[in-house]
Amino acid sequence: MSLLSVQELSVSILSDDGAARELVSKVSFDIEAGKTLGLVGESGCGKSLTAMSILDLLPKPQARRSHGKLIFNGETISTAAPSRLRQIRGKNIAVIFQDPMTALNPVQTVAQQIIEVLNIHFPKLSRRKHRERALELLHEVGIPAPEERLAVYPHQLSGGMRQRVMIAMALACEPDLLIADEPTTALDVTIQAQIVRLLKRLQEKNGMAMLFITHDLALVSQLSDHIAVMYAGKIAEYGPAKDVFSKPCHPYTQSLIAALPGINSPAKSPLLALEGQVPAIENMPPGCRFANRCRHVANICHTEIPQQDVNTNATMVACHRWKEIKQ
Amino acid sequence: MTGYFVRRFLLIIPTFIGITLLVFAITRVVPGGPIERLMTQIQLGGETGSLERSQGGGTLSDEQMEELKRYYGFDKPMLSSYAIWLKKVLQFDLGLSTRYQDPVWQIIKERFPISIYYGLTTLILTYAVCIPLGLAKGMYHGSALDSWSSAVVFLGYALPSYVIGIALISMFAGYWDIFPLGGFISDNYDELTLWGKASDIFSHSVLPLIAYLAGSFAVTTLMMKNSLMDNLSADYMRTATAKGLSRSESVRGHALRNSLIPVATSFGSNISLLLGGSFLIETIFNIDGIGLLGYEAIIERDYPIVMGILVISSLLYLLGNILSDICVALVDPRIRFGERSGS
Ligand SMILES: Nc1ncnc2c1ncn2[C@@H]1O[C@H](COP(=O)(O)OP(=O)(O)OP(=O)(O)O)[C@@H](O)[C@H]1O
Ligand SMILES: [Mg+2]
Repeated sequence: MSLLSVQELSVSILSDDGAARELVSKVSFDIEAGKTLGLVGESGCGKSLTAMSILDLLPKPQARRSHGKLIFNGETISTAAPSRLRQIRGKNIAVIFQDPMTALNPVQTVAQQIIEVLNIHFPKLSRRKHRERALELLHEVGIPAPEERLAVYPHQLSGGMRQRVMIAMALACEPDLLIADEPTTALDVTIQAQIVRLLKRLQEKNGMAMLFITHDLALVSQLSDHIAVMYAGKIAEYGPAKDVFSKPCHPYTQSLIAALPGINSPAKSPLLALEGQVPAIENMPPGCRFANRCRHVANICHTEIPQQDVNTNATMVACHRWKEIKQ
Repeated sequence: MTGYFVRRFLLIIPTFIGITLLVFAITRVVPGGPIERLMTQIQLGGETGSLERSQGGGTLSDEQMEELKRYYGFDKPMLSSYAIWLKKVLQFDLGLSTRYQDPVWQIIKERFPISIYYGLTTLILTYAVCIPLGLAKGMYHGSALDSWSSAVVFLGYALPSYVIGIALISMFAGYWDIFPLGGFISDNYDELTLWGKASDIFSHSVLPLIAYLAGSFAVTTLMMKNSLMDNLSADYMRTATAKGLSRSESVRGHALRNSLIPVATSFGSNISLLLGGSFLIETIFNIDGIGLLGYEAIIERDYPIVMGILVISSLLYLLGNILSDICVALVDPRIRFGERSGS
């Protein structure tokens, strides 16, 4: 049994004209205990909405989960009472966000913010114990001089340090699942690598599962056991990381991989960028959402929604023609 | 940061001199000054006030003009008479009123209790109403409470205070006779019991207070509401929810305090309101406050009083600004004046 099972999750946003727009459409995936699922897709495809709907952190009141079932540790959390959900948040499932610059309260010290989460879930422990734990966490996430950093405000820290504080906060109660929503996108490349290494180390140490969201396919292939590729609110391809990466079946995944600047490709060779634009949510085509950008498009793609096929490697592909175009 | 505030305090000196020098210069060039008024009065053959220099109509001789100029300090160049004035101010001497011949400080001091009473009550009531109202509006944005209170608050803001004042008087004092027509206390005030005195002051101040407050609610309420809404939608509130806090806990623990910062910092600059007071409202309600005194002093060209009020109000204003900054620095750790920020 998987740790988290997401079944046919849809998220709708109420737009200004009052119409509900389905920005995430019947997304399904599973996360095994201790394993990492990488959720990849270009900006705006609905990754954050998917991730936030797991703990019901969607922006209220515009966004809501309009369909689907979430099962965590055998418990259906999609219908759980708010009080039960509060117990799970921070303790069993923790989140780190895209932007460390704004995710911390600017007028509270690092200590206050870390101790707060301990206080919520372990109110019986003494203040001294909380402080010790906070110190230990800062040490664990590799913050130099943690003793001094406890008394510091977020603005006195660099972006990378703030993200480490966020990670420390998320790990405070040793969660079973960590949702990391583009934790490195706002950071520069060297810091990115450090944070990713840190997350991987802590994951192994705590035996924690991770939903790692990114638009960086190369990053996710190193980090994940499974990969789900998302396009315009739908899963295009989903399967074991090495299969998806080495034998991509969906034309979108193929073009993503082709667009990666390879080590072997000669310098100054033209980058293979994907032509065209994601269709606007107001006029999603009736058939495949990728049809207007697909090299292999056929008539059927414009009229019918592709079914989710399972290929031989237990990879799920949502494409009419994946068998024909297989390289 | 202490150094910064010491510098700020020292900066009061040149600013104060700038303000007073400017107004002092204006009093020199504006027509209708005390000597001109005296001459008109003499020409009209009327009383010349307490200065019994009337020759029974006609004009003044050059000699008498010189004497008058010396009396009002107009005989010396402007800068040197300003220096004399400033020196007296430093010795807490604001001079004599040209109209009443009483010390200016005495006249202003008599009005303090009334002005402070209204100033303080307005200030306290503004915060006591606007903060909870703004918070409620922010929490329940778009609710009936929000829309209706906005309508009321903006109506009060849009109507000039004197219109509200006149409307209140004609309704509640004229037509229904619930509250007195004006003044600060009744004629029989001294005979009343302590309780009677309190309720007497209260009934006299209800209408003027409403007129004062009507316009002042909008700004602070809306500031409070917007500030709370900004903070409610801030990323760190989502972090708070993700930690496992309930909505009310995260509002209380995070958004509330942060949204009070801009309102708290406006407090300092509001202390100058303590001695403010609108002459329009004071005129309508016949209240003998500083606002009315200042207005009359300008109309009557009673420059020592004008300058005296200016001294007090500009000092309050300058100190209030510094107080504001101290408030900001106290409540917001991101603000460190006079230091380079960042890590
Ligand atoms: N509060 C909101 N109101 C209206 N539209 C929203 C809101 N939040 C997200 N959206 C829309 O939903 C779509 C998906 O958003 P989401 O944040 O999930 O994208 P993402 O895949 O996480 O992108 P990124 O990589 O840029 O973070 C976007 O097109 C965005 O415009
Ligand atoms: Mg996102």
